[in-house]
Amino acid sequence: MNPLKKALGIIFSNGLSAAGFIIVISFIVITIAYSVIGNSMLPYNPYEVNLYETNMPPSPTHIFGTDNLGRDIFSRIIAALPIDIGMSLLIVAISALIGLFLGVIAGYFRGFIEEIIMRATDLFLAFPPLILPMAIAATLGPSLTNALISLVVVWWPPYVRLVRGNTLQISAQDFITMSKVLNTPFIRILIKGILPNIITTLLIYATMDVGTAMLELSTLGFLGIGIPVTTPELGMMASILSTNFFVYPLEGLIPSLFIFLIVMGFSLLGEGLAEIIDPNIRTHLISRRKRIEEMAKMKKYPVQG
Amino acid sequence: MEGIRELAIYIGRRVLTSILVIFAAVIIVFLISHVLTSNPAALWAGPKAKPSTINYIIERYHLKDPLYIQFEYFTLNLLTGNLGLDPVTGKPIASEILFYFPNTLELVLSALLIIIIVGVGLGYIAAIKFGSKIDAAIRIFYTAAWASPIYLISVFFILAFSSWIPLFPSGGMYSSTIIPPRTITGIFVLDSLLNLDFSAFLDGLYHLVLPSVSLAFLNFGIITRISRNGILSVKWLPHVKLAKAKGLDEKYVNRYHILRNGLIESNTMIAVMFGWLITGTVVTEEIFSWPGVGRFAYEAITSDNYPVLIYIVILFTVFVIVANLIADILYAILDPRIRMGGE
Repeated sequence: MNPLKKALGIIFSNGLSAAGFIIVISFIVITIAYSVIGNSMLPYNPYEVNLYETNMPPSPTHIFGTDNLGRDIFSRIIAALPIDIGMSLLIVAISALIGLFLGVIAGYFRGFIEEIIMRATDLFLAFPPLILPMAIAATLGPSLTNALISLVVVWWPPYVRLVRGNTLQISAQDFITMSKVLNTPFIRILIKGILPNIITTLLIYATMDVGTAMLELSTLGFLGIGIPVTTPELGMMASILSTNFFVYPLEGLIPSLFIFLIVMGFSLLGEGLAEIIDPNIRTHLISRRKRIEEMAKMKKYPVQG
Repeated sequence: MEGIRELAIYIGRRVLTSILVIFAAVIIVFLISHVLTSNPAALWAGPKAKPSTINYIIERYHLKDPLYIQFEYFTLNLLTGNLGLDPVTGKPIASEILFYFPNTLELVLSALLIIIIVGVGLGYIAAIKFGSKIDAAIRIFYTAAWASPIYLISVFFILAFSSWIPLFPSGGMYSSTIIPPRTITGIFVLDSLLNLDFSAFLDGLYHLVLPSVSLAFLNFGIITRISRNGILSVKWLPHVKLAKAKGLDEKYVNRYHILRNGLIESNTMIAVMFGWLITGTVVTEEIFSWPGVGRFAYEAITSDNYPVLIYIVILFTVFVIVANLIADILYAILDPRIRMGGE
């Protein structure tokens, strides 16, 4: 069976991940289409201000209406997808790479270097989410790169923890010890032994995390820091809620609903994948029940009152 | 006796590391606010500042001195609470933050209470009914709540329960007709109760409902998920089977054998929760016009009030570190395995 078919088979074997996958794929297709074709695929130019048609309700000409500057909300939402989805994917990808690098070093080489890496990780974990990015973004000024930097600064620590934990587990196993005894070069142990065993958990966590990253990014946009004012960004479009939600609630609610939908897609996909693959949930519980029963039969498992 | 000594050592070690972490966090914030930018004075004074304000700011925060002197003043100011004047209102920043902080605490603690009750309750129901329709419904519910942007939920609650069905006030901390009680703790609900002013107490609670529920709504999901998985991981263990085989009542087994052991992991999450909640207040407080530090931070951002923002960042970080410390200590008192260094 080819690997793609196998992967799709796994994804569609679970209702949650199937639903999430369909949502995510459709948004990604739209994102790619917009990035390739550009504004000509949209009914209106997302940046064009039209002061004659401000605050229009949804109608056949403007599917989602227009905002306070007369910009077409539907076009702006499509134009925002590459920014929101693309940046969230970037944040997660960069953090996962940092986590992979530092986590493997800490988990494999141990000792002094592990102590330094893990203390630094703990330190950055101590900051409440979004609070440090707020300070960094406010310091650096509004630009997408700065928003990216400010979020990555707080985004990498969980990945280091995850990778280090998994690396510790794998490195303690006999086949790694054997490889070390046989004097296999580290790079080979890493590629053949460690990476294949930690990549699944990492990918699942990352999938769920893309949604969270998008929530944080759009909250930065909502607060109006880090993201330039004219950029179509879903959170920034939603920020209109804080001024006019009693009058035109739809203007801000529609973009927030899109954030909700995309984040939900990523969470469902990750949640479903975790259920299928991650040994901690469902499948494991059932097999674990069997294992415990077997162990109880062999009287190796002490029964507590 | 041995146990108490272990506990004291554990607490001492945790307190020391927390102080170190706070110090390191202050260094990081200092680096961000003084080194990351090429022109700290312009940043601290704001883009529209008059030359006299910029001069005041430079002098006040020693921005032209060598870095180590700047850092010395920065930490000294923090330690003495001498944070300078708010460039927007002209009042001392420290007293402003202290004035707003109890209100944020009130919101965060009540949201936490709701999260613990609802989050653990739903996780318990889902795990007991594992694999059923109820389980599936709860899982979809918490995933959806977790995926919601914070402003969507806050605004939705206002529209639904204040605008369409006028049940609750859309904002504020108490009605304008209520005379605020004498300040004891600074927390409105607590003060009115301590002053035996029951109408103010009820009014405070009434205003607290929507903001705390919407703040809790966004964050209960993770607790539900972890308690569900935690309970599932003990549900089929032999000691539970034995308890049932002994003929113990199903409810008794669920409560004392499954629930207690299954909740250990979600305990640790509660400390993490503080970080999420305090972040959430920035948006929630603004939307509900709740006079807390979160709203103060929002206003500082919109008015380019950099000093206030930086000090709030430090306050929030210290608060979360201290909350973690308290949670860890409570946890160690409750669960001896932690302080004995076990797993």
